[in-house]
Amino acid sequence: MIKIDNVVKNYENGETEVKALRGVSLNIEKGEFTSIAGPSGSGKTTLLNLIGCIDRLDQGEITIKNEAVSKMNKVEKTKFRRKNLGFVFQTYNLIPVLSAYENVAFVLSLLDVSEAEVKQRTMDILKEVGLEGMENRKPSKLSGGQQQRVAIARALVKKPEIVLADEPTANLDSGTGEEILKLMKEMNEKHGTTFIFSTHDKMVMDYANRLVMLHDGQIQSDESRS
Amino acid sequence: MKFVISLAFKNLTRYKRRTLITAGAIAFGIMMFIMVDSMLGGAEYESVRNLKWYETASVRIYNEGYWEERHQTPLDINIPEGASVVKKLEESGYTASARTVFSGDMILNAEDFGEDGNLSVQVTAIDTAKDYDVFHYGDTLVDGRFLEPNEEAVLLGSWLAEDIGAEVGYWITIITRGNGGFYEAMDLEIAGIVNCPNPNVNRTLIMMPIETADYYLAMEGAATEINIKLPDNADVEAEAAEIQKTINSFDSSVKLRALDWKYMASDYLAMVEAKRGGTGIVLFLIFIIAAVGISNTMLMAIYERIRELGMMRSLGMSDGKIRASFVIEAAGIGLIGSILGVILGILANLYVIYIGFDLGFFMRDMDIGFRIQSVMRGIWNIDTIAGAFFAGTLISTLVAFIPTGRALKMDIPSCLRHQ
Repeated sequence: MIKIDNVVKNYENGETEVKALRGVSLNIEKGEFTSIAGPSGSGKTTLLNLIGCIDRLDQGEITIKNEAVSKMNKVEKTKFRRKNLGFVFQTYNLIPVLSAYENVAFVLSLLDVSEAEVKQRTMDILKEVGLEGMENRKPSKLSGGQQQRVAIARALVKKPEIVLADEPTANLDSGTGEEILKLMKEMNEKHGTTFIFSTHDKMVMDYANRLVMLHDGQIQSDESRS
Repeated sequence: MKFVISLAFKNLTRYKRRTLITAGAIAFGIMMFIMVDSMLGGAEYESVRNLKWYETASVRIYNEGYWEERHQTPLDINIPEGASVVKKLEESGYTASARTVFSGDMILNAEDFGEDGNLSVQVTAIDTAKDYDVFHYGDTLVDGRFLEPNEEAVLLGSWLAEDIGAEVGYWITIITRGNGGFYEAMDLEIAGIVNCPNPNVNRTLIMMPIETADYYLAMEGAATEINIKLPDNADVEAEAAEIQKTINSFDSSVKLRALDWKYMASDYLAMVEAKRGGTGIVLFLIFIIAAVGISNTMLMAIYERIRELGMMRSLGMSDGKIRASFVIEAAGIGLIGSILGVILGILANLYVIYIGFDLGFFMRDMDIGFRIQSVMRGIWNIDTIAGAFFAGTLISTLVAFIPTGRALKMDIPSCLRHQ
């Protein structure tokens, strides 16, 4: 489903060039629950950004669902993301003036979905992530765990085939982080959605079916777990 | 698009105080614009009226050579048989009155004024029967009485009377040269004092009956000018041309020339134009301040929401929709500011129109060009109010494009990393 072929990404940091990814190749199949792990600066976020079509690579190629996304222009990438990808961020990134319901529904408003369907799908997903009855609360009236649940609902409501999560539990205490991981896993199993998430937390890595370890921009290990 | 509009308006409530301060700045700018425009419009309207009512009339007829020499007030460049010309004009349907204007020295005697003194003056000799039909001195008398034909008396402007300490019943002497160059002295009693709303006139006005001036100055029925009153909404240039045709048909020994008030008051009109330009710059600066205010507010709003912007772009929201969201938000601030500004502007205008600003304390001793004496009042100008409303909203909308465009140039990972 996702084919990453010899990807190189360098950053300019002042006058120094930082080699973020040095020829990474990886295949990820549909329905995988994959963790990309490694210490800070290993290239986890860069790899997620490239898979998520929000950054440009310098060399190599990324193909998602047989489409060479790395060759798409800005507008094509925007359309691709809108239709196929869901994102969960470390800091939730909810819109503070919108309610939980509106934060989720807005993703569907970008697609050609009827109002009735927007309502139905939003209410369903909020129920699934355990936020029934909290639809009208603004993010400021929700706990960190509840906000991340809204973010997961927002990522899943458009039924994407791939959800990318950059350190989704890093801002949560361990108990809440585990709840979020269980929820993601549940969604992965229920909807068959491919989850790729970055972490440097051992507990989070233990939840993954596949663990890809990065070190200095290269894959150090790639192991599947049952 | 419904979501974009809804988000934009919800974002207006995100930083209520900032939204209100920015909208307040726009409102203040619009209120000032409406008020200043109203006051200028009112001053111009009143000045034109006071020019025509007390200074130039609508159209004036001179001997063709008079205009070039008018500052010397020559009596020999005159309109012979002034009364006869007036009669012919009346027969042609015009309201007209003859005047003779001359310069001289006014001698003040210690007996009345406490000390001796003299002053260079310009005296206007009027047809007491017809002058009030052309000019509007009828309701300006503040002391004494109006002039009677043939009497040896004068009317003074109230500011001139104040300056020289004159009162009704005092006597003045005017020394001048008559038609032909001989010296003449006239002893004239102050019959009345008028408070003329035109400050230029009120500062200098001395009026006497034309028959008396005719006798002393040996004018033999001649006048230096004939003034014509036209309706306020008349096209004076066209009417002056028509009057010129009429007087050309008169059997006169001299060539006559009809001038409209705009020609005679061209200095005033040039001054108004210059003032309008200067005020326009001030008003432009007010709008620039409002524009900078909203630009700054939007810059801060966008800067604080860079990460949110990155999230929306990640989820597939197009740059166009993000830009629209910020632009609508700015338009919303502009709309609130413009509505408030128009309301405040109308309230301020009510005060300016019905009460006005009493500027008599400096109009008394200072000539600012406008022919208004004390209270500066405004006028309603719907075009200005509507224009200010649309400009306030439009400028706010347009200035949002710059910071939004700048933010959208950032790549998405940088937006998401933004602290």
